[in-house]
Amino acid sequence: MFRPFAKWLSMTPLSVWFQSHAWVVPISQSIHIVCVCLLFTSALTINVRLLRHRAGGRSLSDLTGTLLPVMWWCLAGLAFTGVLQTITEPVRQFVTPMFWAKMLMIVIVAIMTLAFAGKVRANAPRWDDTSQRPKGARAFAIVTSLLWISIVICGRFIGYTWSFYT
Amino acid sequence: MSIHSFLSMVQDLPLSAAVRGDDPDMVWAFPIIETLHIFALSTVFGSIALLDMRLLGWLSVNNPVSKLARGTLPVTWTAWGCAAVTGSLLFMSKATTYAGNLQFQLKFVMMGLAALNMLVFHFGPYRHVDSWDSAQTPPTSARFAGALSLALWTAVIFFGRWTGFTT
Repeated sequence: MFRPFAKWLSMTPLSVWFQSHAWVVPISQSIHIVCVCLLFTSALTINVRLLRHRAGGRSLSDLTGTLLPVMWWCLAGLAFTGVLQTITEPVRQFVTPMFWAKMLMIVIVAIMTLAFAGKVRANAPRWDDTSQRPKGARAFAIVTSLLWISIVICGRFIGYTWSFYT
Repeated sequence: MSIHSFLSMVQDLPLSAAVRGDDPDMVWAFPIIETLHIFALSTVFGSIALLDMRLLGWLSVNNPVSKLARGTLPVTWTAWGCAAVTGSLLFMSKATTYAGNLQFQLKFVMMGLAALNMLVFHFGPYRHVDSWDSAQTPPTSARFAGALSLALWTAVIFFGRWTGFTT
């Protein structure tokens, strides 16, 4: 369905310029990976803290106050480098279901994380109280962890599957 | 036995052939191991980077450095072990090619320098961490170590990715 758009995009001056400079994709992908590392570790750190809520330690609101901004900045970096890579190699991205699955999961996990951030901001003492885990915290930690893992897998497998669809 | 003949021997092992996907039934072995390598390196870089940003006084400034380090370093080392195992399997599949690749060599040079930086930090500024543990802005030597660590591990990622484009 997106093949005509992908072909058109690949012939735009910007895409042609990116394609003709071999350093664009490697540098963009490397920055993409750096952002993945920071975002993935931050997300898993929060989720492990949620799953081990009663073990205490650093307050959850302090942890999310530090790591959520890191995650949002990384998501912005990933979006920028992702757009750059898509402009450079649009057919490669659009033809494989791995790309679309990845995009859908990113939207879902971003919405879930926004909602979680709002809940913690609205009632930090409740989330910092280690005597009882807030309702939905365990499910959030498990579901978003699985989503982040799946996003990384789909991202890597774009490169391994796109040629099957051309 | 020369280095090249040793690497050729490693590359010819049944395990190496399996990872390489010589058998059509094993064609997904390399992608799966590579993906596991990515999870491991993400945890290595992410955990180190968060600690480095504390040393730089950018993040978690109300938390003692030693407490963060105690919580982070076991995770970092475990992830590094996993990255080493998966990386070794990937290396074995095309040992002669990777060993002769400049970007791959530079990746390990950067990792060696990062290890050296870590040793200098631990036997230097960190020995006196009690005196600056809770400081929002650690001493210059600690900040320098954090900045250098971030730069070197970023270079490891860049050269690691670049290896894939040149092999």
